[in-house]
Amino acid sequence: MNCETCQELIHDLIDGSITERDEFTLNTHLKECLDCHGVRQDLASIVGFCRTQRGQYEAPPNEQAMWLRIRNVIEAELPNRVVANTESKPSFLARLMGRSWELSLPQLAASTVAIVLLVSLVTVVGLRRFGGYGVQQNPAPQTEASNINDRIFQRRQVIDYWNQRVELNKARWSPQMRAKFDLSLKSIDEAISISMDELSRNPHDEISEQMLNESLDYKLTLLKDFSDL
Amino acid sequence: MKTRFLPPRSSSRAGVVAVAAILAITAVSISVAAQQRLNKRYPAGQNVRIELRNISGTIIVESWNKNEIRLSATIESKGTTVTPRQINESFVVDVMSDNRGRGDVGDINFKLQVPVNSSIDLETRRGDIKVADIRSGLVRAHVSSEGDIELTNVSALHVIAQNVIGNIFFDGEFSRGGTYEFKSNKGDITIRIPGDSAFRLVAASPARRIALNDFWNNNFKTQDGRKYVGDVGDGRSSVSVTNFSGQITFMRR
Repeated sequence: MNCETCQELIHDLIDGSITERDEFTLNTHLKECLDCHGVRQDLASIVGFCRTQRGQYEAPPNEQAMWLRIRNVIEAELPNRVVANTESKPSFLARLMGRSWELSLPQLAASTVAIVLLVSLVTVVGLRRFGGYGVQQNPAPQTEASNINDRIFQRRQVIDYWNQRVELNKARWSPQMRAKFDLSLKSIDEAISISMDELSRNPHDEISEQMLNESLDYKLTLLKDFSDL
Repeated sequence: MKTRFLPPRSSSRAGVVAVAAILAITAVSISVAAQQRLNKRYPAGQNVRIELRNISGTIIVESWNKNEIRLSATIESKGTTVTPRQINESFVVDVMSDNRGRGDVGDINFKLQVPVNSSIDLETRRGDIKVADIRSGLVRAHVSSEGDIELTNVSALHVIAQNVIGNIFFDGEFSRGGTYEFKSNKGDITIRIPGDSAFRLVAASPARRIALNDFWNNNFKTQDGRKYVGDVGDGRSSVSVTNFSGQITFMRR
């Protein structure tokens, strides 16, 4: 229950028109909420005072004229109040902060889990994007090396595919053809190995990178050419 | 008259030799009989495009002074199909397509005589390629595995020569605005061109075996001898030479 509902029910309680169920809920809230408890006490004392003083106050001399003046004052103030209300419309944040929230236990648990997941996700993304654990002493070569390795890995996946196709057909080739193919493949693999060794020593070596790319192209062409034989 | 008999041991040795000789002669005869020969002529325009896709064997292409194509082929395996096709201005021989599903069909050695202005596009999985006396838009020679490539007296706007193992020899001219690409994984690349040739060169060899000889000038930039980039003359054509473990040599014609 929120305070708005509570204060509406306080009126019913004082009037004596509240249901048993609402009264139980209201009392539970009043035990927890000091503000609403104060409101109830104030209202009860006003009503109690009115009840005790009933018939003992003097009527005003011109009751009708007094009510007319009251109405005029209220009507004169009403537009100003509306304008003032629109001008001093609270911000979203103020409304959010001023709003009272009531969550059940499952809702609270779900919210907690959602927040934990969101924070974890942001942390993981942040670590991946901005380098992560501690200070890296020499990040550039590692990044370049990993780029090269990524590219090689991608190329090798394609090469593996064509290699499988070659292996399927290889049994039908003549021994001479197999020998020439194996020799060529060995020669290309040697070139790849040399380029890789050079790149592991010097990741910035453009020639080795060019040679590596050329060798991988060679290998791919060789496999494609022999795959449909 | 005395008759001499060979001792038993010599007699048996002579017998073995005789049997071996008979078997060898029989094998050669069978081999010759199994070989098929193809010899055909086809009419062609002056600027015909020749496309030949072989699997295994030698390819020789020469020009002659006739507006026709002469195809000679020696086919090693019986049952191998070679079906040349003429499509518009193209003359196509595709051994792979003609024998799809049959795998390795053995050596087929081709010799083609073509008009001098023919564009040439040749491929083989293994075997040597020789092209001579061609003046055209394109000469392409591709050996998928092992085989030498020899391009002699060739003047074409675009030349591509590539093999994995084997030497590449180019003897010809670089045309203005032309592109020339020579690649070998393991083999020597030799380029023999006129002394007044003008081209932009990119030559790479991790083995540091690049000899530009008469074509060297101080404008060349090198990266520790493994790569040379620079212009010879006004650099009007583009030449790329890549060799992984062999020698790159430029020679004056």
